[in-house]
Amino acid sequence: MTTIADELTIERRGHQGSAARRRTNFVIFLGPAIILTVLFFVVPVIIDITVSFTDLSRSLRISEFTTEQYEKVFRTDRRLSQVIGLTFIYVFGTLAIFNVTFGLILAITTTAIRNVSGSFFRGVWLLPRMSPSVLYILLWLWAVSPTEAGLVNQVLMQAFGLDAPLDLLTSAPIALIIISNGFIGASMGMIIFTAAIRGIPEHLFHAAAVDGAGTFATIRFITLPALRWPISFVTIYQTLSLLVSFEYILLLTKGGPFYDTTVYALYVYRRAFESGQYGYGAALALFLIVIGVIVALIGWRFFDMERLLQRPRIEVH
Amino acid sequence: MTHWKIGTAALLGAALSVGSAALLAATPLFAQETVKLELWSRQDPSGPLRPGNVVKAAERLNKELEAEGSPKRVEVAVRESPAKGFDDDALQLLKVFGIGEGPDIFIAAHEWICAFQEDGFVLKLDDYIAKYPQHFGTIFPSLWSSAKCPDGTYAIPQDAEARMFFYNKKLLREAGYDAAFVDAMPERALSGDLAMDEVLEIAKKVVDKTKAQYGVLHRPNKGPDYIMVFQAYGSDFADPETGKLLLERDKLAAAFGWFERGVKEKVIPANNTAMEFDALRKEFYTGNAAFWMYGIWDLGSVAFPTYGLPQDEKAFFADWGWITGPAPQKGGKPVSLTHPIVYAIAADTKEPELAVRLLGHASAADLNTDHAVTTTHLGIKPEQLEDPRYAKAWPLARATELLKITKFLPNNSQFGDLNGIIFAGIQGIESGRLSAQQAADFVIEEASSTLEDVIVK
Repeated sequence: MTTIADELTIERRGHQGSAARRRTNFVIFLGPAIILTVLFFVVPVIIDITVSFTDLSRSLRISEFTTEQYEKVFRTDRRLSQVIGLTFIYVFGTLAIFNVTFGLILAITTTAIRNVSGSFFRGVWLLPRMSPSVLYILLWLWAVSPTEAGLVNQVLMQAFGLDAPLDLLTSAPIALIIISNGFIGASMGMIIFTAAIRGIPEHLFHAAAVDGAGTFATIRFITLPALRWPISFVTIYQTLSLLVSFEYILLLTKGGPFYDTTVYALYVYRRAFESGQYGYGAALALFLIVIGVIVALIGWRFFDMERLLQRPRIEVH
Repeated sequence: MTHWKIGTAALLGAALSVGSAALLAATPLFAQETVKLELWSRQDPSGPLRPGNVVKAAERLNKELEAEGSPKRVEVAVRESPAKGFDDDALQLLKVFGIGEGPDIFIAAHEWICAFQEDGFVLKLDDYIAKYPQHFGTIFPSLWSSAKCPDGTYAIPQDAEARMFFYNKKLLREAGYDAAFVDAMPERALSGDLAMDEVLEIAKKVVDKTKAQYGVLHRPNKGPDYIMVFQAYGSDFADPETGKLLLERDKLAAAFGWFERGVKEKVIPANNTAMEFDALRKEFYTGNAAFWMYGIWDLGSVAFPTYGLPQDEKAFFADWGWITGPAPQKGGKPVSLTHPIVYAIAADTKEPELAVRLLGHASAADLNTDHAVTTTHLGIKPEQLEDPRYAKAWPLARATELLKITKFLPNNSQFGDLNGIIFAGIQGIESGRLSAQQAADFVIEEASSTLEDVIVK
């Protein structure tokens, strides 16, 4: 015979047990992620903030703590406004033309054709992402070489009768960095959108066909609404990724000619590592972190990402 | 028993005395101390004997130490850096010193030496140089100025060279210039009769009248050669009284104007700074460009071995030649630039004396001549001129003429950064982003906002 008090004690013990288990699970499952976040995000940000308030320069010595770097950012750096403007064009251009739009077109077209052909074309578009960045850019350098040996010039001169070879690296460097990054970026959107399209219940397409909907109407009223969430995710993720990545630009144009393709992240790199102004580079990098956080928060709000993370929007059957 | 004891004692005594004698005789062997000196050197195919000669010098120093009865022996460990140029290498090395991992000896471009001196990384050498006249006494006095910082000498010149405008005589003749005109160009340039704009005129005629695509080509990255143009137009970049960086707007604009005219006339390609180094050389040495602004060592390193230019003096000068940096106007002063590479010793090395002596041996005339004749760099001592190998290497003797008018880059710790800004200005002009005046303004603005103590006039 157990009394009510005994039952209560047992129940409380049970609760205590589950609370302890919850704590253990928290440590086991979230602990590594928290450690990684602290090590690779929080600690670098703290180091960056500290360095930005020093005069750390090429010999890695700190002689004083100072706000000089921020004065430079706000008062004397005349290049910064151009760099920020270019970064906006680069990020927006790559995102709008390739990472989202082209990714979407690839996903829709490759899912509309036969599965084998679709997989083949998706595989082709994944190749740039799978190639080492140096190899990928070497191919680009050959393609846009300003001599008659360059692929683009060979095609233009032989097939279209162009007289003199084009020098795209000098005449259209911004377009080149957008296209070269876009060809890689599009594949991520393509994969995510393809998975999402595959997740749309097939009977919706049949119903639309019965109702007499054409291809564009089906895309507009069935496919795109179902892709709202993946599009939001790709947009925010790729915006952040484009803001901080510069390796393809560095390899292809070195940020030039002049400062024409020096985006913000590359500008930070050039200041810090090519000129040895580490303190100043840290101050500039801090703004990049702030811009990244603001962009992420705006995107979060704009696309209502909270709802996305609450429950799945695409039913999987 | 007593008898036994005496015998044992005698035996023990004898053994001890023999043992002690043997031990004493062997002492130098056991007490020999190896001093490891680490040498930092950039992997540079245009000068493999810069570190190589230091390694060889260790053998000579060790013999000397042995003869002196010193227990010390020197061993050199070479630490090679893969930096693509001397500027990158110096930045890398400054960081290495900054974290306390610096080498004992290093090889650097001379204009960087004061950056090491300002941070206290490099050993002051005046007393040592005076102490070892047998090693350093005959080094050309003019070269020492490239190794000095405001308060003394901090490096030992390792070599020198001459920078010039190489030109393709065949193309000039094809363009309609007669042989007498073409052959007289070096002399006219040296006397100030051939001006900078005439180079553009000649180059334009070559581009217009021959199959050659380019008029004047220059290096595609930051470096010293194009500074020659700025020096021709009067910019020396250092205030002679204070040693601070000096920027004179009009003189900068005049030099940038030369590049601007060159691009407008389609003589300098708009994408010169986007081209690869090897591609530029190929264009010149295979007859697709009239002029190539570079340095004498390019003959030995690339022109002869890679492009098969004639190594015989007469055959070479039949179709190829070089002029010094011309004067800005007729009757003005021509220029040439030399860019010595130097040896330096870390301030915190444990054996400064041995390091100095080691570099003294590495600077020996015969070893330096090995470097000079194999890589077409100029020697550092007058006695090298008497070496038959040196005399036989005609590019060296011919380039030595230019040393009469040669200049150095300023030994200012910020010059490397300034040069990066100047290079960006050239890139801005050539790609059509800036006018000459805007480029001068850009350099002044950029330098004033990012560098310290810049005097602007």
